Amino acid sequence: MKSSPNRPTPDTNNGNGSSAAEPIDEPLDVLLDLLLDSKAEANSPATQPTLIEQSDLLSETSEQVEEKSPEPSNISDTVREISEQIKTEVEEQIKTEVESERTESILEETVADRALSRQTITPEIIEPAQQLALNLDTETASTEELANAVNTLLPLVVELLQFKLNDSKEEIIQTIKPVIDRLIEERTVEDLDKMAVAIAKVLPSAIRQGISLTPEEIARAIAPEIALSIREQIRLDADAISRTLGPEMGKAIKAQIELERDAMVDALYPVIGNTISKYMVEVVREINRKVETTLSPAGIKRKIKAKIQGVSEAELIFQESVGYHIRAIFLIDKDSGLIIQEIQIPGEKHLDAEMIAGMLTAIRSFANDCITSGSELDLIDYGDWQIPLEVAGYCYIAVVVAGEPPPQFIAKIRQVLGQIVIEHGNAIQKYEGNLADVPLGVKQKLEQLVEPVEDSSSKPSPILLWLLIFFLGIVFIPWGIISYRARIARNIEQTVAVELDAAPELSVYRLDPQVKDGKLMISGRVPSDYLRRQAAEIAGEIAEQNELRLDNRIFTVNVPVNPSSITGEIERLTDLFNRQPQVAIATDYQPKTLTVKGFILEPTVRQNIYRTFTQIPGVEQVIFNTVEQLPAIGQRIYFELNSSQLNFADNFSKINAVRNLLEQYPQLHLKLTARSDGMGSSDVNRRLGRERCQKVKAALVARGIKPARLITNCNTLILPDNPTSEDASWSDRYVSFEPFIPTNLSQ
Amino acid sequence: MSIITKKICLLGDFNVGKTSLVRRFVEDKFSDRYLSTVGVKVSRKSVNVKTKIEIQQIDLLVWDLEGNTKFKSITPSYLKGASGSIVVADLTRAGTFKNLNQHIKLFLEINPQGAVIIALNKADLIPQEKLEQLVKNYQAHGFKRIVNIYTTSAKTGENVDNMFDELATAIIDITHQ
Repeated sequence: MKSSPNRPTPDTNNGNGSSAAEPIDEPLDVLLDLLLDSKAEANSPATQPTLIEQSDLLSETSEQVEEKSPEPSNISDTVREISEQIKTEVEEQIKTEVESERTESILEETVADRALSRQTITPEIIEPAQQLALNLDTETASTEELANAVNTLLPLVVELLQFKLNDSKEEIIQTIKPVIDRLIEERTVEDLDKMAVAIAKVLPSAIRQGISLTPEEIARAIAPEIALSIREQIRLDADAISRTLGPEMGKAIKAQIELERDAMVDALYPVIGNTISKYMVEVVREINRKVETTLSPAGIKRKIKAKIQGVSEAELIFQESVGYHIRAIFLIDKDSGLIIQEIQIPGEKHLDAEMIAGMLTAIRSFANDCITSGSELDLIDYGDWQIPLEVAGYCYIAVVVAGEPPPQFIAKIRQVLGQIVIEHGNAIQKYEGNLADVPLGVKQKLEQLVEPVEDSSSKPSPILLWLLIFFLGIVFIPWGIISYRARIARNIEQTVAVELDAAPELSVYRLDPQVKDGKLMISGRVPSDYLRRQAAEIAGEIAEQNELRLDNRIFTVNVPVNPSSITGEIERLTDLFNRQPQVAIATDYQPKTLTVKGFILEPTVRQNIYRTFTQIPGVEQVIFNTVEQLPAIGQRIYFELNSSQLNFADNFSKINAVRNLLEQYPQLHLKLTARSDGMGSSDVNRRLGRERCQKVKAALVARGIKPARLITNCNTLILPDNPTSEDASWSDRYVSFEPFIPTNLSQ
Repeated sequence: MSIITKKICLLGDFNVGKTSLVRRFVEDKFSDRYLSTVGVKVSRKSVNVKTKIEIQQIDLLVWDLEGNTKFKSITPSYLKGASGSIVVADLTRAGTFKNLNQHIKLFLEINPQGAVIIALNKADLIPQEKLEQLVKNYQAHGFKRIVNIYTTSAKTGENVDNMFDELATAIIDITHQ
C-alpha cells in the first residue's frame, strides 16, 4: 500500500493549475488531484493511461455539462454521454482489475481517496440540490427554470456516481445496470478485439453455467440460430455436417420411427410409395405373365424341366425368351443431361451419346413436368429396342438394349446405380461436364452391366436336387420293395394254387391262397375236415419253403351235395369193389345212409369198403348187410338110369330152392356139374351128363334165372368113387350145384 | 486435355429465330421456312476456347427450346443444369424485347451461375444506322450475368459464331473461377 486512506487530500495541489473556485468544479479538482497523486505514486505503466484517460474524460464531462446545460433538450444526450464515459471507465477498470492485482490495489486507493474528498464536497452538493428540490416543489416554476435546475445538478450527478463507485460494488451495479448494455455495445464498436478477448475467457464457462442453471432459456436463446449456423457451416464445409450427422442418422430415424411411426410413414410415403408402386408393377406384370403361360403346354413343359433341372421356372422363362444384348450404357446427369460416363459395345454402330442423353433428359423432364410429377419414366420402348432408365440421386442410367431384358438385368442396373451413387455421389453432384472429373470407379461399375447377368438361381441348386432325389426315393424305394414282394407273393400264391389243384380231391373246390404280412393265408370252403387238412398240408409245405406262417382259413361246411353225384360215386366205388374176387356187393343209398348187401368174404376188405364209403360226402352211415361165406347148396337132382328126363314131381322143390337162393343173392352164380353112374360106355355117359345139365339149367331159366349166372361144366365125365360095383346106383346119377362169385361182374 | 461438355439453352419468344441461330451455328445453314420447334431439340457442336493456359475444346450441347407464347410457357426442367443461355429477341418485333427480361430471370432463377448472352436477331432486316439506335434503346442491365448483347443474323451468319464462342468462353471462365 502506497497511499493511506487517512491522508488529507484537500490541500494537495496539482500541476495542472485548474483550481476552479465554483462549487461544481471543486469535486472534479479533488478527483483529478487524487488521480494524479495515485499516478505519481503508482509507477504502473499499465494503470497510467487508464487513469489519465479517466481524468480526461471526467474533465471532458464537466465541460460538456457546462456547454450543453443551457439547452434542456440536451439533457438526455448528456446523460447518455456521461453513461458512456462511465461505461468506458468501468470497463477499463474491470479489465485492469482482471489484468493485475496491483491495479486493483491502486483502484482501491483511488476509491478511498474519493471517499475522503466526499466529506469536503458534500455541503456544496447538498445546497444546490436542496435548491433544486425547492424549485421543483414550486409548481409554478417554468420549464426553463426546471431545466436550468437540472442542468445545474448534472455535474453533481456525475460526481455522485463517482462517489457511489467508492461506496459499494452493489450500488455501482445498481447504478450501471440500466446502461450496461449500451456500454458494452459502444465499447464493442470501439475496440472489438479487446472486448472479444475480455469476454472470450469467461464465455465457455458462462455458457456452461447458463446451461446448468437455466437450460430452457439457453435453448430458447440458441434455437433460432441453429438452423442458420448449420446452413452456414454447410456453406463453409459441405461435408462437415454430413460427416457429423451421418453416423447418427440411422439411429435418429430408428428412434423417430419408434416414437412416431405415423409421422415417419407420412414423411416417407411420397418417396417410398412411388418406389414400391414401381416395383410392384413390375412384380405383378411378371406374375401375370407367368400365370398366363402356366397352363400352356410350354408352361407345363417348363415346369417339368424346372423340376428336373432344379432351377427356377422364372429362369427358364428368361432362357426361353429372346436373347437380349446391350448396345450402350449411359450414365447421365439428371438435370443437365450431360454424359457422365458412357460405355458403347464395340462392334455396334456408335451412338451419339451426348445427343441421346440430351434427348432422353428432355423426354424425362417433359414426362416429369407435364405428365406426372413424382413418378419417373423408367422405360422407353421402341420396336425391338428398349431403354430402361433408372434414376437415383443426381444421375440416371440409360441402357440401350436390343430384345427384352430380363427382370434380373433391371435389378442389376438398380444395384449398380445404387453402388455408384453411394460411392461417387459427390463427384456426380459436382460434375460440370468435364469427363476428367469422373471417378474411374464409375466406369468399372458400369462395365459390370455388360457382363451377362449372373443369376443366383442359375446354379443348379444341389439342395433342390437332393430334395427331389429324397422325395423320389421316398416314393419309389418302398414302391419297388412292395412290388417286388408282391411279385414273390404272387408266385407263392400261384404255386399254392397249382399244388392245390393237383390234389384231385381239392381240385373241385375254390381255394384262394394269399400271401400277406409274412403269412400264407388260404381261404375257401371245403365240405369235409379231411379236405381242409389235406389243403393245409399242401399249403403248409410251400409256406415252409418260403418261410411263411400258414394261416388256414378254410372252412368246413356241410354243403348240400348233389344226390346224383353221390349215387354216381357210390356206384363207381361199388363197381370198383366188386372187381375184387372176394367181394360181390350191391349198394342202396338213401339220403345219409348207405346199405351194402352181398358177399364180402374178407373181413379186411369189408373194413376198407366201410372207410371208403364213409368218405363220400353225404354218406354218414353205412349199413352192412353182407355175408362173409358163400351159401352151400346140398340139393342134387337125380335121374333115372340111362335117362336124361327130369322128374319134376321129385325135383320141383329142389329146383325152387335153388332158384330162391339165386334170387336171394343176386351176385351169386352157379356152376352145374353132372355125375355119371359109370354104366355103359363113356360116350353115353357124357351125352347123358350134358343133357341132364341142360335140362336143369333150362328148368332154372324157365323159372326166371338169367342163363349167364348158370355155368355148365358137364362135358367132363365124372365117375362114381367106386366104379367096380356092378349095380348102377341111382345115387350116382345126379347134377349138383356149386355157387361162386364171378370175378368180373361187368364182363 | 479432356473435352468438357456444357449444356446451353436458347430462350425467347416464338419465331425470334432460335432454331435458325442454332442451325446456322451447328450446320452453317439457313432456311426461310418457319418450322415451329415442338418441345426441345438438342444439337451439339464443339468449339475451341482459348484459356490462359491452353486451348480448351468444349462440346456445346445446345438445347433449342420451344418458344413460348402467351398460352404456353416453357418447361423449366429443360433449363436445369445449363451453364449458359442465349436469350433471343426479334429486332423487328418490339414485343419480343419486352419479354427478354422475363426469360433471363427464369433462366437465372434455375441457374444462378449461368452466363447469359442476348441475341437481337434478324439484324439483316434492319438498316445499319437504325440498328445501333435499337441496341442503345435496349438496356437489359440489372442482370450481372449478362455477358454481352449481340445483334445477329441467322440468315447472313453475322455474329452467330462469335456469340457462341463468347458464351463458351464465359462458361469456361465461370467454371475456372
